[in-house]
Amino acid sequence: MTVSGGIGYVLLALGPSLTIFITLISSKPFLILTLLSSTLVWLISLIVLSGLWRVFLPLKTTAWWPYVILILTSIAFQEGLRLLLWRGYKKMEDMLDAFADRAAKPRLYLTDKMQIALAGGLGHGVAHAVFFCLSLLTPSFGPATFYVDKCSYAPFFLISAIISLAFVTIHTFSMVVAFNGYAEGNKSDQLIVPAIHLVAGTLTLVNLISGGCIVGIPLLYVVALSTLAYCGKMVWRRLTETQIRLTPQNQ
Amino acid sequence: MSTNNNNSILSSIGTEIIGIISPVSICMLLVVLLVYSQSSPSDQPIRTAANLIYQEAPSDSTSQKLEGSLLNAVVFIILIALVTFLLVILYYYNFTGFLKNYMRFSAFFVLGGMGGTIFISVIVRFSLPVDVFTFVVLLFNFTVVGVMSVFAEGVAIPIVLRQVYMVCLGIIVAAWFTGLPEWSTWSLLVALAVYDLVAVLAPGGPLKILVELASSRDDDLPALVYEARPTVNGNGGGGRGGFGFLVGGVSSDEVEGGIEMSSRRGDVGEGVDGTDESDDTGETSPLVRNVRDGVRSSYSGSSGMSRGNEIVENEEGTPLSAIMGMEMEPRSGDVREEEMTRGIKLGLGDFVFYSVLVGRAAMYDLMTVYACYLAIISGLGCTLILLSVFRQALPALPISIALGIMFYFLTRVLMEPFLVGTSTNLMMF
Repeated sequence: MTVSGGIGYVLLALGPSLTIFITLISSKPFLILTLLSSTLVWLISLIVLSGLWRVFLPLKTTAWWPYVILILTSIAFQEGLRLLLWRGYKKMEDMLDAFADRAAKPRLYLTDKMQIALAGGLGHGVAHAVFFCLSLLTPSFGPATFYVDKCSYAPFFLISAIISLAFVTIHTFSMVVAFNGYAEGNKSDQLIVPAIHLVAGTLTLVNLISGGCIVGIPLLYVVALSTLAYCGKMVWRRLTETQIRLTPQNQ
Repeated sequence: MSTNNNNSILSSIGTEIIGIISPVSICMLLVVLLVYSQSSPSDQPIRTAANLIYQEAPSDSTSQKLEGSLLNAVVFIILIALVTFLLVILYYYNFTGFLKNYMRFSAFFVLGGMGGTIFISVIVRFSLPVDVFTFVVLLFNFTVVGVMSVFAEGVAIPIVLRQVYMVCLGIIVAAWFTGLPEWSTWSLLVALAVYDLVAVLAPGGPLKILVELASSRDDDLPALVYEARPTVNGNGGGGRGGFGFLVGGVSSDEVEGGIEMSSRRGDVGEGVDGTDESDDTGETSPLVRNVRDGVRSSYSGSSGMSRGNEIVENEEGTPLSAIMGMEMEPRSGDVREEEMTRGIKLGLGDFVFYSVLVGRAAMYDLMTVYACYLAIISGLGCTLILLSVFRQALPALPISIALGIMFYFLTRVLMEPFLVGTSTNLMMF
C-alpha cells in the first residue's frame, strides 16, 4: 500500500514528462542524449550552487531574507547557464547541419530544432523533479508519512510532488520559448523566460509563511499554465508561418 | 511537417551510443531495485576474493578501514592480473576449447548458483508462492538456455537473447558484489579503474595483448562482452556516420552501409583457422574469457549459496575494457570488414562495476543514485567519443568510475544538506 503511495507521488511529479519522453523522445537517440546531457548540466549547476551555499547552511535563523538571496542567486546562476547551453546548442546545430549536408540528408527542420529545445528543457525539468522531489521520497515508501508545520494540509511528499510538477512544466516549456527567442533574436521572448523563472521561484517563498502554500501553489500553477499557453502560442505561430512559406515550394 | 519524422537526421544520430547506454541503464536499474528490495543489509558480511585480507567491521577506526580496504584491493587486483595472464597464455597457445568449456562451466555456476541465491532471496522477501520443484525446474531451464546462448556454437541464438543473458550475468555478479562493505567497495572500484587503465593501454598489459592477439588471429575476442548490434535498418549508414559525427567531423566517405557487409561474414568465419571457432554467425564466438573468473569464484565452493564460505570472486578480470570493434574503419581486408559489422562492444566487467557503484550509492540515498547514474553515463559517453577518435580498444572503467565516485561524494557532502534544507521548507527553483 505504501509502495503504491510512493509510486503515485513519483507519477504525479513525473507522469507528464514520462509521456513526453515515451511519445517524442525515446524514438530519437539524439534527443535522448540531449536529455541526458541537459540533466547532467543541471545537476552540475546544483552541485556548484550547493557548494557555494554549503558554508551558510543549514540556516538557523527564521528570517526570510537569506532564503530570498538563496533563491535569487540560484535563479541568476541557472539563467546564466541557459545562455551557455544556447551557445553549445548553436555549435551543435551547425555541426548537425554540416553533417546532414555530407550525408545528403535534409537539414534540421524547424520541428527538429524545437524538439531539441524540448528535450533540453525536459532534461532540466526532470533533473529538478528528481533532485527536489524524488530523492526525498524514499521514506514515503515506508510505513509512515511526514507533514511539515508550515503546510500541514497534506503530506509533505504530496505537496512537493505537486510543486515539482509545476516546475517541470515551467522548465520544459520555457526552454523551448528561450531557444526560439534566441534564434529569432526576439527580446521579449528572451526576457520572459528569466522572468517566469524568477516569479515561480519567489512564489515558493510564500510557502515560508505558515499556511502560505494554500495561496502559493495555485499561483505557481497559474504561472506554469501561462508558460504552457505562451509556449503553445509561440510554437503555433512559428509553425503556421513556416507552413505558409513552405507551401508554395512544396507544390 | 509529418514527413520529417522519417528522414530527419535526428532519428539516426547516436544510435550506437544509445545501444550501449540502454543495457547499462537497465542493468543498473535492476541492481538498484535488488539492493532496495533486500532492505536489511546482509547480516553477515560476505567473504570473497575482494576481501581476503581484511574483514571490515563498522567499529574499526577510519585509518584501519582505509588500510585494510587498500590491502584488499591490492590483493584482488593481483589475483585478477594473474588470472588474466593465465588466460592470455592459454589463448596464446590455442587452448580455445578448454577456455570455452571453462567459461560455460562458469556461466552455469554464475547463473545457477549465484543467480539462484538471488532469486531465492527475492522469493523470500516478497513471499512469492513457489514450490521447490517448480523453482528448480525453472532455474535449471534458465541456466541452460543462458549457457547455450552465451556460448553457443552452431546454434542460431537470437542476438537479443544473448544480450539479455549478458545483462543478467552482469546483474547477478553486481548484486553479489554489493554485499561488500563500504570502504572495501570504494577502494576496490578505484583499484579496478586503475588496473583497467594499465591493462588496456600500457604496452604489455594483459588485455592489450589479448585484444591484439585476437585481432591478429582474425578471431573474436575470447571474453564475455556485450555486443551492441549495429542497427540494421534503413538508416544504418547514417547511424554509424552519426556516431562519428558526434565525435567531431569524420569524413563522410567512411560512412558506409553496414548491411552488405554482414553478408560476408559467413566466409570470413571459415577463413579462420581454428575450425571450432568459425561459426556462421560471427557473433556467437566472442565469448568468453572473462567470466571465467566470476565463475571460479562462485563455484569455487558451490558455495554460491553459503554466504559464510569463502567465495573467491574475481570476476571479470578481463572484460573490463570497452572493447570496441569500431565499425568505421574503412579498411579493405575482409576481416576488418567483419569487424565493421559489429557494433560497439562493452566488457561485462564494466557492466558489473558500474552497477556496483550505483548499488553502493543506493544504500545511501536515492539522490546519490541519480547523480552517480548521470556521472557514469556521461563518462561512458566520453569513452565512446574517445573511442571513435582513437579507434582502438579503450578501458571503459576509469572515466566513469572517477566521475561516479566524484559525484557521489559531492552529492553526499555538498548537495544533500542544501537540497534537504531548501525543499523541506518547500522552496524550489
